[in-house]
Parts: sequence; C-alpha cells; structure tokens
Amino acid sequence: MSEEIRSPLAGKVWTITVKQGDTVEEDDEIMVLEAMKMETPVYSSADGTVKEIKVKPGDTVEEDDVLAVIE
Amino acid sequence: MHKYFKNMDLLGKPLKDKVKQRTEENVQEVEKAEQEVQEAKEKIKEFGLPAEKINSRGQLTIWQRLDILVDEGTWRPLHMLYNPAENEDCTTNVVDGLAKINGRWAVVVGFDNKYMAGAWIPGQSENIFRVTDLAKRLNIPLVWVVNCSGVKLPEQEKFYGGRRGSGTTFFRHAELEQMGLPVLAGIYGTNPAGGGYQGVSPTILFAHKDCNIAVGGAGIVSGMSPKGYFDVESAQELIDVAKQHRETPPGGVDVHYDETGFFRFVFEKEEDVLKAMRDYMTKLPAYDPEFFQVDEPKEPKFPTEDLYYLLPVNPKRTYDFEQILARLVDGSEHQEFRPDYGPEVYTGLVKLDGMLCGCIGNRQGIMPKGYPEYADYPGIGGKLYRQGLIKMNEFVTLCGRDRLPVIWFQDTSGIDVGNIAEKAELLGLGQSLIYSIQQTDVPMMLVTLRKGSAAAHYIMGGPTANRHNAFTLGTVATEIYVMHGETAAVATYTRRLIKDQQAGKSLEPTVEKMNELVKKYYDTSRPIFCAKTGLIDEIAALRDLRGYLQAFAGAAYQNPKSLCPQHHLMLPRIAKG
Repeated sequence: MSEEIRSPLAGKVWTITVKQGDTVEEDDEIMVLEAMKMETPVYSSADGTVKEIKVKPGDTVEEDDVLAVIE
Repeated sequence: MHKYFKNMDLLGKPLKDKVKQRTEENVQEVEKAEQEVQEAKEKIKEFGLPAEKINSRGQLTIWQRLDILVDEGTWRPLHMLYNPAENEDCTTNVVDGLAKINGRWAVVVGFDNKYMAGAWIPGQSENIFRVTDLAKRLNIPLVWVVNCSGVKLPEQEKFYGGRRGSGTTFFRHAELEQMGLPVLAGIYGTNPAGGGYQGVSPTILFAHKDCNIAVGGAGIVSGMSPKGYFDVESAQELIDVAKQHRETPPGGVDVHYDETGFFRFVFEKEEDVLKAMRDYMTKLPAYDPEFFQVDEPKEPKFPTEDLYYLLPVNPKRTYDFEQILARLVDGSEHQEFRPDYGPEVYTGLVKLDGMLCGCIGNRQGIMPKGYPEYADYPGIGGKLYRQGLIKMNEFVTLCGRDRLPVIWFQDTSGIDVGNIAEKAELLGLGQSLIYSIQQTDVPMMLVTLRKGSAAAHYIMGGPTANRHNAFTLGTVATEIYVMHGETAAVATYTRRLIKDQQAGKSLEPTVEKMNELVKKYYDTSRPIFCAKTGLIDEIAALRDLRGYLQAFAGAAYQNPKSLCPQHHLMLPRIAKG
C-alpha cells in the first residue's frame, strides 16, 4: 500500500532528508520546504520505505503537490 | 479538584534517535553559544581584586558571601551582563538574583566588594530598581549584602541626583516596607555617605564587627578646603587630619550598636552575619508550599537536555512548542485551554513543583487550512491573528480571576498586518490584551525563546508590562527588535531607491546603507546585547530554564497578596467544558 506525502504549502524545496529505499517511520522528517521566510519540515505520515521522491532541492511546489511516496 | 490536577494530559513525545542525529549540529551550536555567554559572565564575576587579596584582608568576596547565604542549588542569577551605562571597566557593581535562603525565596542583591570596595557607579541604580521591582512584583523579601564605599566620586554627575539616581533606591526600600515587605541587610566594611544609607535604609540590620555606616566618611570629614583651592600646605594638613580619621571611621558598631541601636545584631565573624540572616528568614511571612500545591512535585517526564535538540538556533526553522514545554513542566503534563481556537497560540495550565501556573506560547509552522478565518492567505506560526488574540485575552483574564501566575514564551514576529487584519480588529485586540494583563495583577515572567518582535513583544507579557513582568529570560537564540533588519531596510530606503533611479543615480550607495542597517539590526538584537541593555534580565542556558520557572512559581506562591481557593478555580472547569 502506498502513501503519498503532499506539500502542506506553496514554496521551494530546501533540503531532502531521505533517499529512495530508506526505511522511515511515521513522523520522520522527509524534507524541508522554504516559504514565507520559514523552513517547514514535511514528515512521513506512515511507516514504510521511500518508494519515490518526486522533487529535488530548489524545485518550486504548490500546495498539495505530491512530494514523495512511501510504500 | 484533585482529579483535575493529578495525571493531567500528557504533553509532548519522546525524541527519536534519528531526530537526535539529525539535529546534533544544533546541539553543538547552542552549547558553543552558551559557552560564550558563560565566559562573558565569568569575566564579570572575576572582575576587580582577586579573591585571595580580599581574603588576605580578612574579608570574604560577594560570591563567597552568597555561597554561605543561599541554599545550595537555588541561586538563579539575574542581570549578570546588565550594563546600561556602558561602563568600560565593570558592569553595575552589584550582583543579584532569586534564591532560597533557609527554604524561602528571596530577591538577593549585594555589592561587589572586589571593585572599589563596592562603590556606586553609573547604571547601578537602574539595576537596583529592577531588583526592588522584582521583590515588589513577587511580594517576597529583599535581602542585601551591603559593602558600599559610596559614590565613585569622579563620575558622580552620572548617577548621584535625578529621579532615577542612586538615592532613589532608599525610597524603593521604604516603598517595600510600606507594602509589608521586609528588607534584610548584612553589613560589612566601610559604608560612608551613600553607603551609609545603603546600610541604614533596610528593615533589619545585621552587622559585622568591623563595619560602619555613616552620613559621611573619614574622607569627607577631613576633606573641607576653606581656601577654595588646594596647595601644598593644605595638602599636608589633609594628610595629617586624614591619618587621624582613618584610625576611627565614624559610625562603627560602638556607635550604631552600643549607642543608637541601629544595628539589631553584631557578629564577630563574617560567616556568622550570613548564618544569622538565614535563621531570620524563618521569621518572615511565607506559606508552606503545600498550602498551594495541587499535586506532588514531579520532574518532567522527558529530559530537559532534549531542549538542545528541539529549539533550533536557525531562526527560519520551525519547531513544536509543546515539545519544548514538555521538557520544562512537572510530569510533562498540562490542561490545554481552547485547543480548537486560535491555533497560533498555546494556552494552558501547567504545574511547577506542584503549583499551578498559566502558560502562553507562540506555536510555529504553517497553521491549519482556512486559518486565519478572516483572510485568504495562510496563517503562519509566530504571528498573531484574531482568534489567538481573543484567546490570550480570555486566558489571562481567567488567570487573574483564579490568581494564577502566568509564564509567557515568546517567539513572535508580530501581529498580522494590512487592511484585512485591521478590519479583523487586530490593533484593538492587541491593546485589549494589554488592558487584560493590567487587570490581572498576578506575577508574570517571560522566556523569549527566540524572536521578540513588533508589538507582539509588548502585548505578550514582555518587560514593557512593567508592573506585571517579574523578569524576562532570553536564550542564546533570542533576538529582539522592532522588526527584522531586512524589513527595516525596506521600510527606510525603498522611497530613496525610487528617487535615486528616477534621478539616474547609482543604486549602490543606498544598497550599501540598506546592508549596513541590516547588520546594525543584527548586532543590536543578539542575546548579549539584549542582556547588556536590559531588554532581557538574563540569558539562561536551556538546561537552566526549568530552574528559573520553579523559582518564579515558588516565589509567586510564597506570600501572594491574594488567593483563590482551589475548589473555586474556574479555568480548569472552563477548559474541561
């Protein structure tokens, strides 16, 4: 079963904390977005493995864009 | 009511190893910065004559005296770096803090006898006013260790007279006594003129056998020059007269114990003065803490050391305020007030050493969708919106009603701005919060975790709330300014940039000025600057924060001016619904 991690806001991808294939737990930091002078961490909403990362640092994302998929 | 307070809701969660690994760099940054602050404090502490020199004269230093006076592990220093007059060779020449003496909280202050035998110097009275204000706000005794040689004569014009000069401190002592608050004083050394009043103005005087207090010292008695100028002949006369007076400075124990009785007690040894003051503390008004405790005191469930991972020094980085609070309060327990309203602000009840306190803090990060409800833009933590302001107004009002001390935590960039925010009444709601605070008349303290900015710094229990804010702490991540330096540069120079361009001038000079302003804002908002200028009362290490909170709660509940019976408390019931 896959879980999509979506962007909570429009902004830029600042750093990506995990890589494809990493095991993550719920609430683990996946990446950090930058918007409105804030660095906002994005957390995994499920335990699993990082199946896909759909963005790279510097990318502009819109609210609700899929950032990563956890399997 | 015990059901409300025993086993309250759990706050926070344990830190995962992964999180610790990821934030290890933050730990190192915080510890490095705390080390720098500590070194600055040590430098102040060691200023003046070395302890060995003082000891060789048969005297103890102020720090040795404090070691004997206060209960071990209870000293919470304040104003260590405070230097409002920007003295180059020292700070304010007094040392102060909150401490327990024989089990009871007191505000403790003493002259640093290592520098000019504890002289009055510029900026000192401002420090003493903070000390007397603290005793007044917490309604606890003030305990002095007096050893004051009087005015540093070459600089008298800076602090002798005026509304806030050194003499004003004697009126502050009288003001405390008027309120029923005793001022104890242990007196050492030679205390002429201003030093004499420092000695005589407290309530109960404990004297060392070699001390004196006098309207004027030997120097003044022998210092009249009838010619109106000095020459070698008059200089020789001065030498002869001064030698005589030096033998017997006026106002010793033979006069002020045996004759006037101003000294209530006299002791042979320096240590015995302090021990007697410790004993005397039990004679002063104080409730047993059990009278107010709503639960057994408990340590936080999560370690305080976690704070080094949790509070980012990077000001852009968001964090979970509840995780911070969980490392500071008893049992990491709380009862939140209106969790479904005003999400940018935390309000809730917490316990410190079993005593109930109100707590308010800025949350960080992106607010839930649709908030603020009056605007089409997203809400971000650290800012204040309509609901948050209303919630704080309600909460402090109820804290006042229930007589609960309030602990504020600031990390705020200000109140939402623009016409939409104005229509949502934010300007008026901010001032309403000031009015609500004024109505409460309960002790408050503030921890500026990171940012204290714009009007939010005023309205969230900041030091501008003079009569309410007992003291304000900073951390090594603290920054205080009216607005961010970049914002200030934009506000100051944008019109000039437009004019420059219209006139065909180079933009470089104005851009340079903008960057200079940004740098100035940075330099004048750092923690050490804030401590030196008194924007905060102390920079506390994160591991020491809980100790200050305990001191605040313990002192606020020691002898409150009014109280609310536990079974009449309304806040816990309103929060429960």
